[in-house]
Amino acid sequence: MKVFYIYLSLLIFLFACNSTPEIDDATMLDGKIISDSSLIHPEKYLISAKYPSPDASQLNKPVLIAAHGYSATTFEWDEIRTFSNTDASFLVSQVLLGGHGRDYADFKAATWKDWQSSIIIEYEKLEKLGYKKIYLAGSSTGAPLIINLVKEGYFNQHIAPKGIFLIDPIIVPANKTLTLVGLLGPILGYSTTELASGEKGKWYVYRPQETLQQLMNLIDMTRKDLEDGITLPQSSFMKVYKSSVDDVADPISALMIYKGIKTATGAKIEVEMEKSKLHVFTRLAGRDNYALADSILQQKVFLEMRNKMIQ
Amino acid sequence: MNKTCIKYLFLLLLFSNLSIAQDNKSYDLGMGFRTQKTNKLYWENGISTDISSQSILNKKLHLKLSYLSSRFGSALNSNAIKQDNYIVGLDWRFRAEKNFQIFTGLNSGYFHSDMEDPIFDVLPHNSLLFSAEAGAFYKFHFPMAISCSAAYNIINGNGIDTPGTLFPFYCQVSAFYFIRK
Repeated sequence: MKVFYIYLSLLIFLFACNSTPEIDDATMLDGKIISDSSLIHPEKYLISAKYPSPDASQLNKPVLIAAHGYSATTFEWDEIRTFSNTDASFLVSQVLLGGHGRDYADFKAATWKDWQSSIIIEYEKLEKLGYKKIYLAGSSTGAPLIINLVKEGYFNQHIAPKGIFLIDPIIVPANKTLTLVGLLGPILGYSTTELASGEKGKWYVYRPQETLQQLMNLIDMTRKDLEDGITLPQSSFMKVYKSSVDDVADPISALMIYKGIKTATGAKIEVEMEKSKLHVFTRLAGRDNYALADSILQQKVFLEMRNKMIQ
Repeated sequence: MNKTCIKYLFLLLLFSNLSIAQDNKSYDLGMGFRTQKTNKLYWENGISTDISSQSILNKKLHLKLSYLSSRFGSALNSNAIKQDNYIVGLDWRFRAEKNFQIFTGLNSGYFHSDMEDPIFDVLPHNSLLFSAEAGAFYKFHFPMAISCSAAYNIINGNGIDTPGTLFPFYCQVSAFYFIRK
């Protein structure tokens, strides 16, 4: 009987450790059929691919490199590209984070350094092409990836960005269970996310525990870096927009960034706490529900970003 | 109840314990330092008292009062958020008559996060604390003891109605000097 219980315990443990979810190729980004459109048509998303030989008027425009969040795709920044088309006063380069937008196995294998590499590649291509007015925008996990570039002194060897916009940055997760991922992750294998119908095929349904550990490592490291203090490159500004109610990125993340980052002159950065309950409130497409106030806020922030870039 | 009231109430409890202990020879009273590391967050340091009585369950039940703050830990000379924990706890000691004891207990109290700038007034600053704890306690032959424990904050912060830096899991190490034993 004792042996039976040992086998039963082992079976339960192995079942609990099952790390292969059931993936529906036809509907899920996790599968082998659906991938991010930027992989097939980079010229629609990346300014370096759209204008491989830019003319003077293109080079003179501000370019915003927009980095999405963990488990998302370029879709997260589609609406600012649409906004930018209204007066074509600035260009938007939507980078797909490394390991993202592909199948589950690719996502599972990628580290946060891989996620960050796409931002670096596009930044260096634009720099090489001669763009001088480069701006960065990071939503959710895109934010700590950009903060890490500043902290590591990446811009000491490259042209400095004119400005950095962070939308709902994550330094602290709202769901504190993520802090236990090192312990619980190997047992659970992966977590499952409920997606709205308009989000299907744009976000991963399954989040491998390896990637959750990468996310936790990144944000924990960024928190410590912020505690030590980070200085922006000369003449760069930073503006943080944060939903005051956010069930993904704890709003206290904005305070940590506010305390941890100073401009090159030692001044405080700008932080605006928004009356929104949406995580990445600048992305409304694909959501089941949002209010008129959310649309107004999105357009207000896009307009402010535009004005800061063209002034 | 505002923050100042809670602070005074806490200090009153702390010193009333001291006076009870001094009046009654059957009490053990330890005072000392406590250091706490929250998983994936701050070091917080502070003071703690531990009191037990022969007349209350043969010293198996211990009352603890602690004040811990990141002000004396991670927030010292850094940009970490300044936060304070006022904790009242009850422990049940196994092997209470031995030098090496095992304990388990429940803690409650008050948590305050100092967000410093009015921009963040919209965020929750305060919370009730409630945690479950288990650990080991060793009494030396001289009037000192050391305890190590792990605890889980049953109330932890989602940043919406409780402060976002109230994380779930933490470990503590305390060193006590017994004023009355």
